[in-house]
Amino acid sequence: MTKIIAVHSYKGGTGKTLLSVNLAASLAQHGKNVCLFDLDFRAPSLFAILKVENAECWLNDYLNGACDINKVLIDLSSRIQGDGKFFTGLANPATEAIRDMSAKDRKWEMRALGRLLSLRNTLLNDQEFDYLIFDTSPGLQYSSINAIVTADFVVVATTADRSDVNGTRRMLRELYNLFEKKTGLVINKVLDSDSKSKKDEMNNKVKSVYQVPLLGLVPCFCEILRAEGNLIFVQDKPNHPFTKIVDEMTRKIVANKVN
Amino acid sequence: MNNYQCFVRLNRPSIFSSTVHVKDTWGKPVTRQEMLSKKPLYILEKIKENLERLNEKMEVMIELQRHGRKDFQPLPDAPLDVMTLLSMPDHLRKTAMTICRCGRATATEVSQQTTRARAVESAYLNQLVIMGHLKKERKGRKAYFYIDRDSQG
Repeated sequence: MTKIIAVHSYKGGTGKTLLSVNLAASLAQHGKNVCLFDLDFRAPSLFAILKVENAECWLNDYLNGACDINKVLIDLSSRIQGDGKFFTGLANPATEAIRDMSAKDRKWEMRALGRLLSLRNTLLNDQEFDYLIFDTSPGLQYSSINAIVTADFVVVATTADRSDVNGTRRMLRELYNLFEKKTGLVINKVLDSDSKSKKDEMNNKVKSVYQVPLLGLVPCFCEILRAEGNLIFVQDKPNHPFTKIVDEMTRKIVANKVN
Repeated sequence: MNNYQCFVRLNRPSIFSSTVHVKDTWGKPVTRQEMLSKKPLYILEKIKENLERLNEKMEVMIELQRHGRKDFQPLPDAPLDVMTLLSMPDHLRKTAMTICRCGRATATEVSQQTTRARAVESAYLNQLVIMGHLKKERKGRKAYFYIDRDSQG
């Protein structure tokens, strides 16, 4: 059963944060209790997207063992129309905090993995959250691999860019497969994706190149660029095609038909 | 204490030949006859426990031989972080990942999750202990394996 979802990619700029935020909001709209975590400690961005400037405690503090996870969680349920709860746990955007997180050693990372794994008990079992979503940093960062090990399902965001295709394929083989993780691919910024021939071409490409299920195909929407990160599409633009694509992904996840 | 010493200790006649009242685990006085009736069962349980320990040690020996190592000394604490997990051979990674998820488990519990034989998991878990990635603690007849996140560092 998929309960913890990590959104990851090989390269930056593939739309991980956009997908994470909209997937979490969509799950909350579907009546699920969701908690979205920013695990991109090198380039925190959720605080800006969700417009939360100050937190009592950051996710950094929880992983450092300095506070309880409940002190990190911020309730944003009022911003989402739906019966579900929408909480977030943010990474500290201060330069000092970023520097501190970059200098952690293997022992600290091992303890951080233990603390992430314990969220399954504290949040899913004890506090009745339905889903935890980890927005990760790209590539083989410690924090990202910790998130992947903790997750039940990995949403892999990629583009049609040659270097991205190559790196994603390698990561599927040498990272997700080694940890025996279920994965679903989201190809973002696809051009001419309305044509049936293009959709068929992408589907065939996913089957032959990646050999994993396709979770979604996201066209290159100018509206997303124009929004400049100010909108949560599933909330603010309910009739936008992107919202419908995210809703379809949510339905697959809720129905556990991701693989 | 080896098996022979254990056997001799268990069969010392002094307890049973004396007239002193013996108390059971809960402090209740037990008659000599009651104690005698429990003795064979107790001995059998101890033999089984020791055989299980011997079996575990043999599994470790076989595993060490297979990987070309002869020493029994566990390596100093080696953190079981994700990069270490990635660099492990597939068979050990599966076992280590299960312990990561469970926190603390016996070989039987791990084997239920990995769907591999208990003896196989026991060998892999003991190998991870020797490599310094896991700690092992005995509680009665059960051996628990866990990651000591607090003492490592």
